[in-house]
Amino acid sequence: MAKPAVRKPKKKVCLFCHDKISYVDYKDTGLLRKFISDRGKIRARRVTGNCTQHQRDVATAIKNAREMALLPYTSTAR
Amino acid sequence: MRRYEMMVILDPSLDERTVQPSLDQFLAVVRNDGGSVEKVDVWGRRKLAYDIAKKAEGIYAVVDLTAEPATVKELDRQLNLNEGILRTKVMRPELH
Repeated sequence: MAKPAVRKPKKKVCLFCHDKISYVDYKDTGLLRKFISDRGKIRARRVTGNCTQHQRDVATAIKNAREMALLPYTSTAR
Repeated sequence: MRRYEMMVILDPSLDERTVQPSLDQFLAVVRNDGGSVEKVDVWGRRKLAYDIAKKAEGIYAVVDLTAEPATVKELDRQLNLNEGILRTKVMRPELH
């Protein structure tokens, strides 16, 4: 009898709520890079652990940064 | 009057020392219309994440200014007419 795997995912705290950052700056590429995959895609909320509002702010900031060629739209890492 | 933040990408073939004076020339339109320029921050040469107009690099500059909406629109139009400017972006930071 296989035991049903009980997973207790650790509850992630939104980085921005934790640090009390209200404005996500599109110029801060170092910070935004944490929220994109190595292919340049925006990481999902279940991965980043951000709250709804901050995930939205991060996504907008990343899109703005992409427009100004600060972040890639796609990167062919492979 | 509103606060704006404008990011400009300039042609990398320009001399970095000439960037500040030439930006000032463009920003004259803001000062003439009663606005003010708080800060001009020239980042310098930086690699672009993807090519713009077949160029892999660009000179970045960020300008903080206060002006009427119509003035900023005119400034943006004039910048985009210039060949030495690859891209501009106007943001209103306090909206976020």
